[in-house]
This record gives sequence, structure tokens and C-alpha cells, in this order.
Amino acid sequence: MRDLLTGPNLARLICLLILILLPLVVPSPYIRHLLIITFIYAMVASNWDLSLGYAGVFNFGHIAFFAAGCYGSAILSKTIGITPWLTIPLAGIIGVIAALIVCLPVLRLKGIYVVLVTFAFSQLCFQLVLSQEEITGGSMGMPLLPPLKIGDYNFARDGKFGYYYVGLFLLVLSTIYLHRLVRSRFGTSIVALRDNEDYAISRGISLARQRMLTLGLSAFFTGVAGGFYSTYVRVASPEIFGFGFLSLALSMLLLGGLNSIYGPILGAFVITLLSEAMVDLGPMRFLIISALIILMLLFYPGGLNNALQQAYKWSSRSGAAARLFRTNARN
Amino acid sequence: MDPILVVDRVSKSFGSLRAVDDVSLSVEEGEIFGIAGPNGSGKSTLFNIITSIPFPADSGRVVFEGREIQRMRPNRVCRFGLARTFQKETSFDTLSTLDNVILGSTYGRGTDDSAESRKQAGETLEFVGIGTDQFERPAAELSVFDKKRLMIASAIVTEPRVLLLDEPASGLTKPEIDETIDLIRRLNQSGVTLLVIEHVLPLLLTVSARLLVLNHGSELVTGTPDDVIRDPHVVEAYLGSRARHD
Ligand SMILES: Nc1ncnc2c1ncn2[C@@H]1O[C@H](COP(=O)(O)OP(=O)(O)OP(=O)(O)O)[C@@H](O)[C@H]1O
Ligand SMILES: [Mg+2]
Repeated sequence: MRDLLTGPNLARLICLLILILLPLVVPSPYIRHLLIITFIYAMVASNWDLSLGYAGVFNFGHIAFFAAGCYGSAILSKTIGITPWLTIPLAGIIGVIAALIVCLPVLRLKGIYVVLVTFAFSQLCFQLVLSQEEITGGSMGMPLLPPLKIGDYNFARDGKFGYYYVGLFLLVLSTIYLHRLVRSRFGTSIVALRDNEDYAISRGISLARQRMLTLGLSAFFTGVAGGFYSTYVRVASPEIFGFGFLSLALSMLLLGGLNSIYGPILGAFVITLLSEAMVDLGPMRFLIISALIILMLLFYPGGLNNALQQAYKWSSRSGAAARLFRTNARN
Repeated sequence: MDPILVVDRVSKSFGSLRAVDDVSLSVEEGEIFGIAGPNGSGKSTLFNIITSIPFPADSGRVVFEGREIQRMRPNRVCRFGLARTFQKETSFDTLSTLDNVILGSTYGRGTDDSAESRKQAGETLEFVGIGTDQFERPAAELSVFDKKRLMIASAIVTEPRVLLLDEPASGLTKPEIDETIDLIRRLNQSGVTLLVIEHVLPLLLTVSARLLVLNHGSELVTGTPDDVIRDPHVVEAYLGSRARHD
């Protein structure tokens, strides 16, 4: 229990507390909107870290899991009429199903072939969405999706307070889930496969099984994020398959740092805020962000998370003497 | 008693190269069986196809404790009681030394109890001679000797009945080789049957009861160390044909 409140965990709890209190202090609904989008990106990027970072599986179909959640939830809520409160978690399951489908061809593939197949899968989903106009609305997408409601309280008309807290809640859930997953023996086993596949297999780890689990488990909250996204913006549109979304999520992952879960979340905040701060620069801002990421990868491949951790180690080392003194004084 | 491991006429080709060509051997329970041969003679490939990691044999049978395993899924071979090490120092670089071994126990043996596998991992690391100060270090930072012993430790926790060691002594200093010989003997005394590949003969001659010498993928001779060093073909394979005439 003491552990829970020291070091990085304490920092995380403080960040959470700030996020909980923020809407009460900052009046602008626009800021809340930005943060809601950030929560969604943070979920997508940090779950992607499970396959791309921890497992080292070059999965470029991750956005397709998100899209599956988007459209799945949209169809269930608008066409079938299920409440979005249910379609958002169901979107997670739809994401997992999409992941299991892409899994089959990539179970035993290596490196670049995984990139090709997963990317092709993503394009296939895109074509499917475009061609099935009656179900998905084709290139027009599905507008006017039902919003979240509690009785007469409509989340679409409350200045984005409701969505803010639902989004934050989902991000917290997803992060706890990932945090526990990567520290479990399953988490260790996928890192082992990444470090040395033959050696891992020789110690009893099944490549196909762990890869299927990796993709499936990384797709759940990605799908949930998709369902939440389409419910929030009230439209499921094929734009999400575009390069913009993919590259933005990837940027957050790389800037924040692979293999860290918290890195990509941090990356999501930094990139959303940066691109917002530079909004006057128009498309130039994407150039600047790209340059920033390239510089980061060149000089600091560990990403922001790594930088923070080193800073923390450094500060706790210099603080160690002071703490020692304090403990001695107490005894 | 039946041999614990029988390899029956296995072959493996890479294109036109017959890396292992119709090789057979049988190992008795409790034995230390050596495999020698010049560079590229197919020793490691033989281990690869016995364990199906990373590939199975093109043809032939591998019978372990009376059951054919040549078509078994490679990750199951170790659960079955047959573990191997690799010639090149291999580790899960980003995991801690302790986690490297714990993985062997959870996946290779199927231990569910994490406290137990942790304890067992610690004891095994001490058994192979890795100090507790190394336990939490990333495996990438270990010395060559420690990496080799770590690889053996992660095999031991899977509780193999047959252990295949591929060049456990290559690249080590003389005192380290002596420690390795001692470790091999202690393992054997604890009941493990061993197959040991060594490119350098002296180690093999010291520890093994019998040995097989490969040359160009096929069996040159199998016999006791004494038989093997007297065999003119072995001398030729190792030193070239001139040695015989001098
Ligand atoms: N995966 C592979 N693809 C192609 N050729 C291979 C492969 N593995 C081994 N070979 C070839 O098969 C032959 C036998 O190789 P192997 O590694 O089994 O020899 P070795 O006896 O272990 O040699 P060393 O003493 O150098 O370890 C060599 O000619 C090698 O180049
Ligand atoms: Mg070899």
C-alpha cells in the first residue's frame, strides 16, 4: 500500500487528480473537447504500445480495430437501437473480433510481412466500409448517432462535462488494464518473444498463441475508444482510416516512448496541446511536430517517458541523502 | 533398458547442402553423450532438428522416452522434458536475470505459483553459480560466462530429463571452462541426461562416456573417447589428410 503512493505512482495520481479537477476550474468547453479527444488518442496509442512496443509485432492495422469499434458501436446504436451505454463496451468486443481476424494470417509471419498484411487488412476494412453503403453510409459515413443520456440528461448538451468524465474514466480503466497486463507473466512472455523468438519458444512459449492474445488484448480498449469516439462526435466517418489519424497515433507513441504504456499517454497530451498551440501556423504545425519527433528519435530514442524516468532517478538520488537524514532523525 | 533418446536417420538440407545427412544416435538414460566435429559439420543443425527449433528435420524420427516427437509443436518439446541451449549466448536482453529464469519455470514447466517459481529460479541461479547481485540486472548486461550459465539455468527450471548443450564452453577462459565441466557433472549427478556439443575436444573427452563425431553432416564415428581419438578418420577430419602421413 505504501508503494502505491511513492514515486511514479504518486506522480500519476497527481496527474489524475488535476484532470479530475480541471473542468471545474477551466470554464472553456473547447478545452474539454480537446482533452476528450486526447483521452481517446491516449487509449489508442497506449494500447498500440502493447503490440508494437512490448510484443514487437509490427501491427499497422491497429487503427482498423479503432474503426471497427467506431462503426460497430454506430451500427448497434443507430441502426439497431441499443443504448450507447452498451454499444461502447460492445465496441471493445468488436475490436477484439477484428483483431482475431487479422491474427490468422500473421500468426507466424515475421517483420515486414506483418506490416504488409496488417496494413492491407486496414485498407480492406476501409474498402468494405465504402462499399457497404446501406450499412455504413459509404463515403458519407453515419451521421446523427444517438448521444449518451441519463434519463432526460443529454450528454451532447451539457458543455461536454459528461463526455469528459466518461472519457477520463475509460482512459483510467484502460491504463490500469494495460499496467497490470504488462507486469503479468503474459507481459513478460511477449517481451521474451520479442527479445529472442527461438529462445522463447525453446522455453515453452507459444508464438502463435501469445501473438493472438497480444493483438486481441490490445484491441479491446482500442475498440472501446472507437465506440466512445463515434458516440461523442456523433458520426462514424471513413476519415478515420486516413493517414492523418494513423500518423498522429504513431507520433504519440514514438514521442512518448515505446514499452512504457504511460509514454504514449503523455505523447497524446503533448502532441494535442502542441498542435493546438500552433494552430495559427496551419499545416506547418504538422511539419514542426514531425521534425520534433525525428529529433527525438535521433537523440532520445527512449522518448519522453524515458527522459522523465531519468530525471526522476536523478532527483531521487540527490534527494536520497536528505531522506536518509530524515529517517535517522525519526528513529 | 531402452535408450532415453533415439535419433533415427535424420536429415536436413539447405538447398543443395546436406547439413545433416542420415544421422542416427541413441543415448542411454543418465549418460553424457558428446557430439564433436569441425566447423560447419552439422552439430548445431542436429540439435535444431532434434528439438524442432527453429526447424524440424526433413526426414527421420526422433524418439524421446519411447514417443516420437519430430512432429511435435516446438514450444511443447520442452514441456515434454527435452530442453536445449544455443551456441550463441542468448538471453531475453531486456528482462531481468531472474525473470529470464522464471519464464522457463512458468512456461516451460507450467508452474502456476509465482512465489514458487521465483524461489526455484533463485535457487537455480545459485546452482549454476550466478550471484544474487546479478538477479535484478537486465540480462543484456551480464558477462559472456554468466549469459551462458543463465541459458543453462533457464533450461534447468523446466526440469528436463534430457538437456542439450551447444558449445557451453566456447569463448570461455580456462577456469571458466573448469567450472562449466563441474556444472555439467553436477547436473548429470542430479539425474539429467546430457548431450553436449563441443568444437574443442578436450572438454568432451573429459566429461562424456561416448561421443559422436560428425563431418560434412554425416557420422564419422561413434565410440568412447579412447576409440575416437585413435580413429584415423577423426584425426584426418580435424587436422587434414596430411596429419595421417606425417
Ligand atoms: N539456417 C540455415 N540456412 C542455411 N544454411 C545453414 C543454416 N544453418 C546451418 N547452415 C549450414 O549448415 C552447415 C552446418 O551448420 P551447423 O551450424 O550445424 O554447423 P556446426 O557443426 O554447428 O558448426 P560450428 O562448429 O561452426 O558451430 C553449415 O555449412 C552452415 O552454413
Ligand atoms: Mg554450431
